[in-house]
Order: sequence, then C-alpha cells, then structure tokens
Amino acid sequence: MRKVSSASKNADRVFRVATGVAASSPVVFLVVIALIVLVQAIPSMKFNGWHFIYGIQWNMGNLYGALEHKNGVTAAAGASYAALPFIVGTLASSIIAILIAIPISMFTALILAYRVRGVLQWILSILVELLAGIPSVVIGLWGIITLAPWVRDNLAVWLSHLGPVVPYLRGPVGTGLGLLSSGLVLAIMIVPIITATTRDLLMQVPILYREGGIGLGMTTWEVVRYICMPFIRDGFVGALALGWGRAMGETMAVLMVSGSAMNLLPHNLYSPISTMAAVIADQLDSALTDASQMAVHALAELALILMVLTLLTNFLARWLVTRTGRRRSTKAGVAA
Amino acid sequence: MMKQSGKWIAVSVTAAGLIASLAGCGTGAGNNTSGSGTAGNASGNATGTSASGAVTLNETGSSLLYPLFNNQWIAAYQSVDPSVKLTAASTGSGTGISQAIAGTVQIGASDAYMSDAQIAQSPNMLNIPLAISAQQIMYNLPGVKGHLKLTGDVLGQIYLGKITYWDDAAIKALNPGVSLPHKPIVPVRRTDGSGDTFLFTQFLSDTNKTWGSSSGPNYGTSISWPAVASEVGAKGNDGVVSQLANTPYSIGYVGISWLDKATQKGLGYAALQNKSGNFVLPTQANIQAAASTMVSQVPASERISLIYSPGANSYPIINFEYAIVNKQQSGATAAALKKFLNWAISPSGGDSSQYMTPVHFLPLPASVAPKSQAQINQIGS
Repeated sequence: MRKVSSASKNADRVFRVATGVAASSPVVFLVVIALIVLVQAIPSMKFNGWHFIYGIQWNMGNLYGALEHKNGVTAAAGASYAALPFIVGTLASSIIAILIAIPISMFTALILAYRVRGVLQWILSILVELLAGIPSVVIGLWGIITLAPWVRDNLAVWLSHLGPVVPYLRGPVGTGLGLLSSGLVLAIMIVPIITATTRDLLMQVPILYREGGIGLGMTTWEVVRYICMPFIRDGFVGALALGWGRAMGETMAVLMVSGSAMNLLPHNLYSPISTMAAVIADQLDSALTDASQMAVHALAELALILMVLTLLTNFLARWLVTRTGRRRSTKAGVAA
Repeated sequence: MMKQSGKWIAVSVTAAGLIASLAGCGTGAGNNTSGSGTAGNASGNATGTSASGAVTLNETGSSLLYPLFNNQWIAAYQSVDPSVKLTAASTGSGTGISQAIAGTVQIGASDAYMSDAQIAQSPNMLNIPLAISAQQIMYNLPGVKGHLKLTGDVLGQIYLGKITYWDDAAIKALNPGVSLPHKPIVPVRRTDGSGDTFLFTQFLSDTNKTWGSSSGPNYGTSISWPAVASEVGAKGNDGVVSQLANTPYSIGYVGISWLDKATQKGLGYAALQNKSGNFVLPTQANIQAAASTMVSQVPASERISLIYSPGANSYPIINFEYAIVNKQQSGATAAALKKFLNWAISPSGGDSSQYMTPVHFLPLPASVAPKSQAQINQIGS
C-alpha cells in the first residue's frame, strides 16, 4: 500500500472544501436571493393582499403627504399597488417573441446543421452567436430609432388591415412603442439562443437515422419532420423554455420600446405596455424616495412574481416534454 | 440592504478621503473671489497642505441640472480647485435624492425638494438651492408656427385623457386663428423618478381640480399616471425630447436646459397661463419675475415650491435646482464640498451668467443666497 503523504492529504482536504464551496454556491445564491426578495415582499403582501395580482392601479401614493397605516404596515397616503398590467405585459410580449422565434430559429438551425458546410457554416454560426452577444441596450436603441417608426408607419398599418378578421390587430396603431415592438425586439434577442441550442441538438441526430430516411426515399423535409424533429423534441422544448425565461426577464431593451404604460391593460397589439422587469428598473429610484419604504416592498413583490412565473414556465415546458414523450412511446408500443 | 451597502461605500469613500492627506484646495484658493462673505471660511480649513492626493466629489441625479453641471461646471471648477475631482451623472432626481441619502454620492442633484416624511427619517440631509430653473411644455405639431397658448387646466385634461384631439374646443378657444389638426394627442411623460415630473404635476395639481383633489394623481417625482391609451413614457429629458421629435402630434414637459436642443429638432413650446391669467413664455425676464415674488417666502430649510406664483409676468413653472447633501461629512470631503458649493452659488463663480445663459438658468436671488450659504456652513459640523 502506498503511503499517503500529509501534503497530498492536505491537498485533498483543500480540494474537498473548494469543490464543496463552489458547487454549493449556485444553490446558496438562489436560496439567499429568493429569501431576500420574499422577506422584502412581505410588507407589500400584507398591505395589498391578493389585489396585487388582479388589480390595475399602481399608485405609490402622495410621497409628499402624510403616512398611513393599514394592516400593521406603513405606506404613503393613498398608496395602492396592483400589478396585473405588468404581468399581462410580460406574458404577452414574451409569448409574441416566442411565436416569432420558433420558426425563425428552427429553420436557421436546420440550415446551419445540415445545409452549409465548412467555412460558411463556421461564419454563419459565429454571426448567430454574435447576435446573441449584442448588449440589450444597443438593441433597445435600434428599437427606438429604427424599429418603432417602421412599425408605426408600415408594419402596424399593414397588420391593422387584418383588424376585421382578428380584433386584436385593429387600430389605432399608436406611436410604434408598445406590445408589437417589444415582442419583435425580444424575438431578436432570443432567436440566437434558441438557434444555437437547436443547431447543436440537430447535429446530435445520428447520421445513420438520416441516411436511413433518405434511403427509404424520404424528401429532405420528411427527414426533418419525421426523424430529426422527434429526436430533438425534448431538447427543443428546453431551448424554448430557456428563450422564454430570457424574454420575460429582459429589461433594458423592453424598457426602451414598450411605451412604459401604467394603469392600463393592452387593448390591441400596438398598445403601450410595461413588463415587470422594466417597471422594477424604472420605478426603483423613485421608490427609494418613499419614506415608508412600501414602494420598494411592492417592487420586491413584483420581482417575486417574476421569479415564480419564470419557474412556472420552466416547469410547464418540462411537463410538456414528459407528457408528449409518454404519449408517443405508448402510441409506438401499440403500433408495434 | 441598500442603506447598509450605501454606508459601507460612504465609509470607504471617507477613508479614501482621509488617506488623501487633507489635500483640500491649496493653489486654487486665491481664485475663489466669491462676492459673498462666508465663502472664504470653507476653504480655510484645508489650505496649507501640499496637494498631491485628490478629493473626489460625485454628483448624480437631475437630468435638468446635468447639462450645467457636466458641460460647464466641471470644466470650470478644474481651474478653481485642481485637487478636487468632480464627476456627474444624469440619472433623474429620484436617484439623486436616494443616492445622497444612501451616501453613495456626495451631491444628489434634484429639481424636487425632499418630503417632510423623508426629512424626518434623514434629518441630516440638506436641500441647498444652487440656481433657478424652469420647465416648458413642448409639442410636435407639424404646420403650426409660433407658440400655442395653453393652461394648466387644459394640460391636466390632456393627461387625464379627457382632451384627446388637438382640435378640441378647449384648445381652439385658447388659440383663435391657429389651424389645429384633427389628430389624436400623444402625451409623453417621464418614466424614471423625475424632478420634471414633480414640477409638472405640481403645476397640474395647482391648476386642474381633478388632478389636485385628494383622490387625484397629485404630485411627486413619480406618480400613478391616469390611464391614457395613446400616452408613452420616456426616460430622462433627453428621452422625452427625442420621443417628441420622433412622434408627430405629441406633447410633453421638458426642463429648460434642454430648450435649445429641442427647438433645433423642430419642437415648439407653449405660452402658459399664469395665476394672473396672462400667457407667458419661459423668458429670462418672466422667470425672474416669478422668482422675485417668491423670494420673501423662502424658509431657512429652503424646501419650497415656486410653482404658479402670483405676478402679472410670472412664468408658472419655475423651481430651485437643489443639491441634496448629507451634513455629516469627514474633514477633507466636507471642506471640498463646502468650497465647491460656495463656488457654485457665487455670482462670480458657478452662478455667473457665462454658465447660466447657455442653459437658460437664473442665478440664486441675492436674498436667497445667504440662506443657501447658511446651510452649506452646516456641512461637516
């Protein structure tokens, strides 16, 4: 038996502690952040109750007036916080982004994985990854200067012609800052993430399966539809969940093109909106001047809802994967 | 959380200040020929040391004060006191106040004074007026030349969503002979915590019954805006100006230091009805007239609204530009801060016309300057 020197024992101890600390840090951070947000949100929960989730008025109260006491907590006179417009804005803009991003990233990934080779593939892949690296504030700036006027003068006008068929497309088209622009900007930001993940997934499809399909006389589309897509389905849903989470949490770009609506639910595709993340960024500086601190607590509750919603969409995506997966395997079993 | 981390930064900033061997002012002291009596005292504390280290004074807040502070004062003060390094940021008055309280900056710039409740919580905070500023109502109305006439009541109804078209009878009645288009009004407002929002909503509270009623939106650096479907938000005065320029038939409120930039972009600005019923423009004379009716009422704490003041020529939206400062500062920082603020309010220093005119500000009135001075002298004591 080899004699273990004390030096290597020590090294092992250091290794154990270092890996322990490093490996536990994500969990610790998550728990600590969640706890702090929760603790900060409790006064707001007491003050606003369930009304926070279904009400429409976000009112810090008169910050230059007296303080009032309600349910054992203090807030500025006339304060009442409710976040439904922000929750709706977050969900609506991110769902529009996902709907736009699904076909674009799917097809881009197919081209990158199967159709281009060598230098061209390398260059195109790098370009997609570069798109992911553009800071969101730059995309927001482009959104304000270029996208919003274009949406106002062209896209929205054109879409509003479909108004008689789809009520949510009816005008007025507004200023170009709103739900549609937010969805477009978000789509641009999540397409590279979903594309890169999907491309990697597609490249994992065993070449024998595809060759088998082609050997059976399948067209390219049939190979993709019946061989590749079922193979990558789970991973693709995961990629969508990742993109959706990113879209809901995105702050700066949305803040710049959303129109920052307050106390207002979107009534068509062009309405100004506000998302939870954007409101937190926007309102925090004023909230810090609230002597009762209730405004900060209300923003913390908003952050809590955002966290819970992101978790829920993640679970939803996972559940979709397992459900459809199980159905397929039973179907296949019956067919066999 | 916020407050604690703020304190830590404050501690480290003051520590850095102490290590910097009480550099203070040294050579620049002679230049500080302030017309006011106490200005010399501030610099007296720290003279005589060889100035190798530097004191950094950080300013953040009001985007209305920013063009003056960043583009004029910082460069000018370099020659007055090279040992002090000034930095400025345009983050909105709400941030200015909260960061000054947290101690992350030494000077919080704000168009709004702190509320009584805030002062009760942070009794060490001083609200020191540095200059007088104003705000104009700007619009993007293609084809309309000259200045529209508007009242606070009409503006209130626009932001309440009751007046929605430019050719509304109420606007037409104020502007006979002007051909107003039948286009929806796009009201633009600030989304960040803003002193301009504070001033504008204070004006609306004073002039529009619904706005000022106890159940109305009232005033503040950030308020619960009535739901108006066509309304859009923008960040900072720069954001509002570019939003107005990009959006035909929009209207918004803009700090006067942005007037030149905004008119270059083709925006017009309104003549507002004052308390005497006259329609006045934000000219130097009209701002001066409004200020002179209010100076006698300025209290020692200097937290006072100058909005909608009486007088035939008074422009209705004027305000003090405040430096929000914590009076508890360590030696070197306190000395540098006092010296800088004394320079800033001095008519031969920061308040001289060469800095005021480009941003359309007015210097502190002679009867108010001593009150600011008295507050400055509390710093570090």
